[in-house]
Amino acid sequence: MAVSGKHTIMSSTPLQVLLYLNGWYFAAYFLAESLMFVFKGLMLPYPTANLTLDVVLLLLFLGLESLRIFYGWKGNLTERSLAMFVSVLILVLCAVLSVYYLLLQTFVLRLEFILNAVLLCFYSLEMLLGIMSISAFSRSKVY
Amino acid sequence: MSAVGNLVPARFLTLTAHLVIVITIFWSRENNVEACLPLDFTQEQYDNEDTKLVVALSVTLGLFAIELAGFFSGVSMFNCSQGLLSTAAHASASVALLFFLFEQWDCEFYWWILAFCRSVAGHIGLFLRSAVFSLHLLRSYSSSQCLD
Repeated sequence: MAVSGKHTIMSSTPLQVLLYLNGWYFAAYFLAESLMFVFKGLMLPYPTANLTLDVVLLLLFLGLESLRIFYGWKGNLTERSLAMFVSVLILVLCAVLSVYYLLLQTFVLRLEFILNAVLLCFYSLEMLLGIMSISAFSRSKVY
Repeated sequence: MSAVGNLVPARFLTLTAHLVIVITIFWSRENNVEACLPLDFTQEQYDNEDTKLVVALSVTLGLFAIELAGFFSGVSMFNCSQGLLSTAAHASASVALLFFLFEQWDCEFYWWILAFCRSVAGHIGLFLRSAVFSLHLLRSYSSSQCLD
């Protein structure tokens, strides 16, 4: 199925693998972060406004990440550059949120630091592969 | 039934959990080092034990690099027994290391955990089977079924 006639496949397999694993990793990350917020809320002296902000940002992160992975998945498989471009844009926002959880939130646990660092590694690779696949898709002479 | 579809994320998540715990232990190893030493210890004894634990952790991280390379290149994806063995080893290692961290076990236990859960035999098995298997894969059409 790789080559039929004159059309070669431009979808990036590494990007697909990364998106798949990122989906699973983010599910585990969200679960871990929710439990850690329960722990931090009970153990550490949080001002209420900060805790509310962090929890709401986590829910926002869930929504953004789901959207990003969906657009990236579909864009890569159907070889459309618009969907991939939207995915890369949302990736920037998600990276900002990840850096917030890594550095700028009120109380940062070591475990959160490591989890966010791994997530940022995923993001950097996906951004690279996403930009490469956008250029591959736009250069093709399908139409 | 596509068992590969469920085994690959399980393997990845247990591998990542193990990696995260190893990095956490690396970062906060003072309590564990002090647990190995007598109640009044000198700085040299501390540095000695600390160096040994750092060596053990670095060996672990090196083996992780090999295992991640093997995982992401996908050569052992269809070999279900390898995947199952890997998942079981990493899960048990994660639990053991959690105890190591929270209960502040002695440094020697780390070497035992390393020996049991990251045995050289397991890694050699990974390479041999994946090498043989990738040759088979080059000649046949793959499906998403587990082959043993």
